[in-house]
Amino acid sequence: MRQEPPKNAERLLLFFLKEELAEEVLGDLDEKFYDLLDKKSKRKARLNYWYQVFNYLRPFAFKYFRSNSIFLTMIKHNFLISFRILLKNKKFSGINIGGLAIGMSLFILIALWIQDELSFDQNHKNYDRIVQVLRKTTNDGETYVGAAQVSKLGVFLEETYPTLFSNVATTFNRNQEQYLKVGDRAVERMGYFFSKDVTDILSLEVTAGTAFSDDPLLEILLSKSLAETLFPKENPIGKSIELNNEGEVIVVGVYSDLPKNSTFHEMEYIIPMELVYNQDNPETWSNQNTKVYAVLNEGIQIDQASEIIKNVLTENIPDDERVTDLLLHPMKDWHLNSTFEDGIQITGTDLQIVRIYGVIGVFVLLLAFINFVNLNTARCNNRLKEIGIRKSIGTYRSQLIEQFLSESLLYSFAALIVSILIVALSLDWFNEISGKDMVIPWASPSFWILIALFIFTSTLVSGAYPAFFLSSFNPIVALRGSIKQGALSARFRQVLVVFQFTISIALIIGTITVYNQLSYAKSRPTGYNQADLITLRGRSEQWDEKYDILRDELKKRGHIVEMASANYPLTNDLGNNNGFRDPETNERYPITFNTIIVNHEYGKATGWELVAGRDFSRDQEYRTSIIVSESAVQQMGLEDPIGKMVKAPRDFFGRGEDFQIIGVVKDMVKASPFEPITPLMVFATTSPLSFVFLRLNENAGYVEALVGIEETFEEVIPGYPFNYEFIDQAYQLKFRNEERIGSLAILFSVLAILISCLGLFGLSAFVVEQRTKEIGIRKVLGASVASLWNLLSRDFSVLVIISCVIAMPVATYFLNGWLEGYEYSVDIDWWVYVAAGIICLVIALGTVSIHSLKSSLGNPVEALRAE
Amino acid sequence: MIDYLLKSRTNSISLRIFVLQFSKLKMKETKIGDFEETMLLIVGILGDEAYAFKIAEEFETQTQRPVSIGAVHSTLSRLQDKGFLKSEMGGATAERGGRRKRIFMITAEGHTALRTSRDFKMSLWNQFPAFAEGKLNFIFA
Repeated sequence: MRQEPPKNAERLLLFFLKEELAEEVLGDLDEKFYDLLDKKSKRKARLNYWYQVFNYLRPFAFKYFRSNSIFLTMIKHNFLISFRILLKNKKFSGINIGGLAIGMSLFILIALWIQDELSFDQNHKNYDRIVQVLRKTTNDGETYVGAAQVSKLGVFLEETYPTLFSNVATTFNRNQEQYLKVGDRAVERMGYFFSKDVTDILSLEVTAGTAFSDDPLLEILLSKSLAETLFPKENPIGKSIELNNEGEVIVVGVYSDLPKNSTFHEMEYIIPMELVYNQDNPETWSNQNTKVYAVLNEGIQIDQASEIIKNVLTENIPDDERVTDLLLHPMKDWHLNSTFEDGIQITGTDLQIVRIYGVIGVFVLLLAFINFVNLNTARCNNRLKEIGIRKSIGTYRSQLIEQFLSESLLYSFAALIVSILIVALSLDWFNEISGKDMVIPWASPSFWILIALFIFTSTLVSGAYPAFFLSSFNPIVALRGSIKQGALSARFRQVLVVFQFTISIALIIGTITVYNQLSYAKSRPTGYNQADLITLRGRSEQWDEKYDILRDELKKRGHIVEMASANYPLTNDLGNNNGFRDPETNERYPITFNTIIVNHEYGKATGWELVAGRDFSRDQEYRTSIIVSESAVQQMGLEDPIGKMVKAPRDFFGRGEDFQIIGVVKDMVKASPFEPITPLMVFATTSPLSFVFLRLNENAGYVEALVGIEETFEEVIPGYPFNYEFIDQAYQLKFRNEERIGSLAILFSVLAILISCLGLFGLSAFVVEQRTKEIGIRKVLGASVASLWNLLSRDFSVLVIISCVIAMPVATYFLNGWLEGYEYSVDIDWWVYVAAGIICLVIALGTVSIHSLKSSLGNPVEALRAE
Repeated sequence: MIDYLLKSRTNSISLRIFVLQFSKLKMKETKIGDFEETMLLIVGILGDEAYAFKIAEEFETQTQRPVSIGAVHSTLSRLQDKGFLKSEMGGATAERGGRRKRIFMITAEGHTALRTSRDFKMSLWNQFPAFAEGKLNFIFA
């Protein structure tokens, strides 16, 4: 069979090539093709033909895709005129386009942010079917919902209800950072313990190696990024990693990192749950140290499944006095809808923030649109003469409409391009302050639909007034110049300005309140001394053996004042127990205590403040002594707590059930500084525990002390990593969320004010221009600059004051909704309203004064001559 | 661009003069680039066989550099616009699917341009001391 050049390439060529060139070019390409077919292969020849065709994509060879239709020519003409008008009024066009662009870009950013929040966890394939098993406990009339489950539950559910769940995975309730060591490379990273089905449930993409085997005891799965950190340029599969200096695990697989908007995104590696079971007591109905996730079978409704497993705990733990129901929490609710009050799902702070931001985004966009409309309508009256002339020489009304619409289309389009540029440039920065990982979704159809909607709306809204209203005038009326602008349209513009400033003032009140709340929580007394306090993890047998020597040595060398350890960090309130009784009346205290066990020197190291009784000491009967916090004393209703006995529900830390209160300390803020404090109950031990606290010797200086400690570490326990953290820094992390909200609030209010002021600037310029003659006459007759300024600025000040009055209740309503989410929160003081009002008034007056001062200072002759 | 500037209501006389002169400059442009010069020479070498495909082949064999027919064609048509080449449709052959080819020929102006270019280069060479004195020793700095 005779070979022929590729037909599609030929078709493409003929599509764009000038017709008069077709014959010679096709001929040349054919010759080339058959030449190559002879010398090389068929494939090469065909490939080359395509290559040659693409190389004809040159200007000289292109057809003229040009049309002579009247319609197209008109459109071209319209845009040309619009473009010239845009250039003629550079200041107005700049304000117009700039304002709209800022509004649009902020809206796009907020839309991206909301999209990211709402799409949380959607990367998991079984998104619709994954549930978390929660527990609703009613105890002494109080109902609360928690995630911690007894360790038997996961296995029990999987075995008992195969019809409901296709898969159940259990993870450790307190997943913590662990030391991973490969050769001399050691890192401390966050990983999760998970039962071996985790890869299926979370649909992790295993890119190298395999998922866990059936007997995964000493296996580990690494995220791709961690694998690259630990094994740069190596194949990690089959390599061993030392875990916490305790033993080695083998890498069996590597999975792709989870995106930032996944609940499990901080997980960098997975260790099989079996490893913990091996150490702790496995699978009991009493120790609440796991979280349970499950995948529902196809077609199973969540409510239905919840109802079936509701009583599992009550049936299997018959001697528990509390009533505990199980319930299933769908994955779609995890991120934004996980707030429960009295056992019922309510709208939490997170969801509220998303809603508030959404509202703000829409409002800021509205602000920008209002500007656009306001400036356009104000300006269009100057073009009545043009309309009159056009109409008298025979323009159809429809052509005028086209003209004005194409003009506002040009403006909107320019604004859109600027805003996309702004978004692209500021996205990195925005990601940083919002803690996200967003990209512009170029490929997403909904993004383009949104953009098309922008263009359409802003074109129509801003073009409507001139296009449909002004074009309807009788040419004679139009030619006469200015039609008296009715009181209605002036009133309309005033309403729009009031609306803009209402939003701006409300945002300022919001920003001040967010920062008030933040500084209020930051200045909350923590109950211990955060300065000069560092913390680190102690975990290995070697560490336990050398603890005392290390402590003595560090103190002797003067690097530290004191060193102590506890079984929990200072920055959370994990470790909760209830069921304590008053031994005299045998009455149960209806309180959950944060129970921790510490060394005797804990108080001295952390600097807690003893308000009554004494601290622990090594030579006294410490084993049955406890120290409680003020809120514990208050909630237990004790008048004279020192010496009082407390009966524990079971044997605690191997010390029996009877304890005596020897001291009372001030409340320590360990968990969220916005929440009420859990009553604290402290036990003492002499043995080293895993969270270590060192109070640096302030006389020695930080750097010297830290260097000295590191050297001492190296001498006493060689090879043990000195990875420390300052407590005050760790504590500051608790404010990260609120700080983010704060910086976003600042961004929003600054932009809102900027947009409003741009509008005001344009509008005042317009007003002043219209009154130029009046000002000239007034000046000639002896008006002072101050009185003229007053005349021109008064109207706008009244508008701002009206906005203040409207903004106050609006802002109060939204902010109270936000503040209600915090137990420890500020009230909105009166001075906040006053400050917001004054800020806005000053900025608005400043903006207006630019024009009013200029014209009242000008020479009246110039003003009178102006035409 | 020039048309737009001329038509636009610009009041500045100096700008108009500048625009006019600029456009004159453009019309009189007679410079040829290196690739263009090579093309002209190859057209001259090939004579009756000077059409785009053959010229591209010849270029590849002479310079050992690959070139697409489109690139050659574009240059040829540019040279024709400048008046250095003229062309007419030639005979058809079977391997072209019976299509005619466009044969390019050098015009008198083309000859002049080539000669000017060569003379200019020669005068440069003659001023180059290493060669002007007949010594062919290359100096490597």
